[in-house]
Amino acid sequence: MKSEQLRSNSPLPRGSHEGVLPLKGVGGSLYFAEQVIRKLPASLDYKLVLLKNHEDNIVLRDGKLEKMLRATSLSLAINLYLDGREGFFYTNNLQADAVESFIRQAFETTRLLEPDESRMLADPSRYYKGGGPDLQNFDASLCEIAPAEKIKLLEETAREVEGKDKRIISMQTRYVDRQHEAHYLISNGFDACEQSSYCTLTSIISVEGESGQHPMDGWGESRLFFHQMPRQGIAQTALQRTLRKIGQRPAPSGRYRMILESPCAGNFLQPLLTAMNGQALQQDTSFFIGKLGEQVVSPLVNLVDDPLQVGTRGAALFDYDGVATQRRELFKEGRLMTYFIDTPMSRKLGMPPTTQGTHRLIMESSEPAPSPLPLWGSATKPLYNGCENEALPQRGSGEGAPTILVTDFNGGNCDPVTGNFSYGIEGFLMEDGIIIQPVSGMNITGNMLDVWQRLVAVADDADPWEAELIPSLTFEDVAFSGC
Amino acid sequence: MVKNSARLSQNTLTSSRRGDYADIFFENTDISSMVLQDGKVSQAQQVCLHGAGIRAVKGTETAYAYTMDLSEEGLKKAAKAVGIAPSPLPLWGSASFSLPLQHSGFVALPQRGSREGAETFRQFLLKAEAKAYALDPSIIKVKAYVAQRMQQVQYAGSDGTAFHDLRPRTALSVSIVMERGGQMQMGYASRMMQMGADFFTEAVIDEVVGEAVRRTDFLFTATQIEGGEMPVVMAAGSSGILLHEAIGHAFEADFIRTGDSIFTGRMGQEICHPSITIVDDGTLPNDAGMLRFDDEGIPGQRTVLVEKGRLNSFLYDRISARHFGVKPTGNGRRESFRCPPLPRMRSTYMLPGEAKEDDIIRSVRRGIYAESFTNGQVQIGAGDFTFFMKTGWLIENGKLTRPLRDLNIIGNGPEALRHISMVGDTLRIDHSASMCGKEGQKVAVSQGLPTVLIDKLTVG
Repeated sequence: MKSEQLRSNSPLPRGSHEGVLPLKGVGGSLYFAEQVIRKLPASLDYKLVLLKNHEDNIVLRDGKLEKMLRATSLSLAINLYLDGREGFFYTNNLQADAVESFIRQAFETTRLLEPDESRMLADPSRYYKGGGPDLQNFDASLCEIAPAEKIKLLEETAREVEGKDKRIISMQTRYVDRQHEAHYLISNGFDACEQSSYCTLTSIISVEGESGQHPMDGWGESRLFFHQMPRQGIAQTALQRTLRKIGQRPAPSGRYRMILESPCAGNFLQPLLTAMNGQALQQDTSFFIGKLGEQVVSPLVNLVDDPLQVGTRGAALFDYDGVATQRRELFKEGRLMTYFIDTPMSRKLGMPPTTQGTHRLIMESSEPAPSPLPLWGSATKPLYNGCENEALPQRGSGEGAPTILVTDFNGGNCDPVTGNFSYGIEGFLMEDGIIIQPVSGMNITGNMLDVWQRLVAVADDADPWEAELIPSLTFEDVAFSGC
Repeated sequence: MVKNSARLSQNTLTSSRRGDYADIFFENTDISSMVLQDGKVSQAQQVCLHGAGIRAVKGTETAYAYTMDLSEEGLKKAAKAVGIAPSPLPLWGSASFSLPLQHSGFVALPQRGSREGAETFRQFLLKAEAKAYALDPSIIKVKAYVAQRMQQVQYAGSDGTAFHDLRPRTALSVSIVMERGGQMQMGYASRMMQMGADFFTEAVIDEVVGEAVRRTDFLFTATQIEGGEMPVVMAAGSSGILLHEAIGHAFEADFIRTGDSIFTGRMGQEICHPSITIVDDGTLPNDAGMLRFDDEGIPGQRTVLVEKGRLNSFLYDRISARHFGVKPTGNGRRESFRCPPLPRMRSTYMLPGEAKEDDIIRSVRRGIYAESFTNGQVQIGAGDFTFFMKTGWLIENGKLTRPLRDLNIIGNGPEALRHISMVGDTLRIDHSASMCGKEGQKVAVSQGLPTVLIDKLTVG
């Protein structure tokens, strides 16, 4: 099912929608809210979003049902704009009298604010005008699939490791699916709906470790449609990832080559994205102030936001402001290509508006390196995203240099003004491309702008099912503190 | 009405076809907030959350459904989803919020959307901004945020437990940007209390603004250091994050029940020095973690987790308490009606010892004095925890010699407890806005600590 522009010019008579109306049956709440706003004793601009979310969340513990949640929620989000004043209001009580009372209170609150001329709706010329592709990112059947079928999937997953290792203490297997539907109605000419869905299956396992420790790790995979869900491999991967953590201890402090495993590499990118935010620029809390167009990170960094890829997570035809999405280069060969500037920040900063944030992040390399993920000890086959993959090299990168493969972060933070960071990590110490010791209780420290200049390899192993496709990354000369 | 309501819930819930316990949790929450930015209070938010969660429990198995539709039909549908047969079913809709109301006598909040309420917020923010600019001429930006949350809850369980409560919570946060010689720094401070209109005092503004300005000023001279293992003196107050991450989560009894926690099977054992007693407390007046009743009807109480060095109690919700054959400790909490309750912390702190802070610092040849923190995390199974120190000092030869910033501190829960060698004589509870996350649910907590010395932690 596709997201659909329903109205390109306001106002149109009620009931004039074209195409799909996913919120059929409840969409009346939206138009009722609009009517209430139009009766207010002042002329306001508004953005109304009616949200419908359905979720199933089922947990098995050691193969037996532990928790099951099934619910559908409806809510209404309202932005009111009155002569430079902006109020945001949200309610899930959609009874007519409650909505009317809520909006009247919202109006009174907005009226009491001080004007700020930057607070206004987006220019309607930037709105999505319809005619986009069917994004093929909504599984309408999710809420109709019987819980028993989802439980069966979980039971199959749990059975993969049942009785496979005496060290297993506990295994949690969780299935979550969500359907998201939203209908947008903006007073200066936007009326459209969007839908998306995803399903996730995860397995988390704890085992008896050394010195009374209970190492725990997991693995999970997401898809847009239930029928795409993988039927095997998730629990096995979770068990492998847990067992390989037995014996974790800090390695000596020093400077190491750092390989960031793909599933956690996106976390390390986050401070760069935060620093691109218009609000951070305007508040002088960004280390990217004044750096647009400059080479700020390694030339290997090519990062795009591509919301228009059909059949993928994060795909969207318009953003929360109704603005049409487009493929956008964020970094090109290390140069900072854009900031995230919404309408208010555009006016405050005197810069052209871009977008609020990202939808589907993709880090690309013109010459992708082979996956740097290593052989596991003396094993004969490497692990890649939990699956044996014959195509990968028999040795990981890192020959000749002391290397730490980081598989997860454990706390830490980054100062948004300076870019100085310190993060806890866990992973593996490697020598000549072979893992020799699981490590934990270590920190990496440095400065974001400095460390991203030290990026020397970008692999091609990102999980295409995720909304952030950040592959494994290799950085030279990173400061680790340990024992 | 009250009797009808109680009978309704009990009749309905005991007719459950599945399980040995069932309950219903009604919620009506109003949240109002305003932001001051660029010298103007030009943004406001209001949120209304309204609904009911219905749970059926059999052993450790939970079926849960929630609905925003509090009509008879809506509640019947939710009850059916969890396997409860609501027959005969009186009018559920009239049952909501009908029990006698209990609350602590806080000062009433201004009505949502009222001129009085908005003006209270606005004046509070403007005063905070003015005080900040008056404190330091190098301040170039002040952003202030005030929020009030009024949660009205009503609970009924199949064992006859029932309560109706109002839970106010008000918070102020202030962030400051200073510029000196072309260099920028940003600092932040906050307060969050279970208070209503009585929160809006000059004293709160002075505390929060003063703290934010001091922290920002500190950052101009503070540096990072080369890391490694070293002694860490945790300053009294927000250092309580140590307890929250190092032992608090691992004491949550769902992790004990599944065997995941590193403290599984250690009840009654000595886990740290006999001078150490650690408490999780739901009775501190106005504290963010205070609960007259938890979210499954258990009265608020004080739970001694570690008594004179021995593991004395875990944090139990109803399910884990039944599993272990003990009484629940009032730690069953949930973010909202959309979530089933889980064992969660309230206010977690260590009782004071006898050492003077100066003596503790003097005892360290080279180490860290950790003063303020931003965030923390723990891995339950391994017991490895981290917390991020925003400001602190290098200790050399028993003296604070160099301001430090932005260091991640890592340790292992049981080991860190064993390595606490000195406990200060003054306990301080930290009332910064502190939200704890677990399984996607956030709840308000607080923590406290007297100054303590930990002989060995990894500093980043």
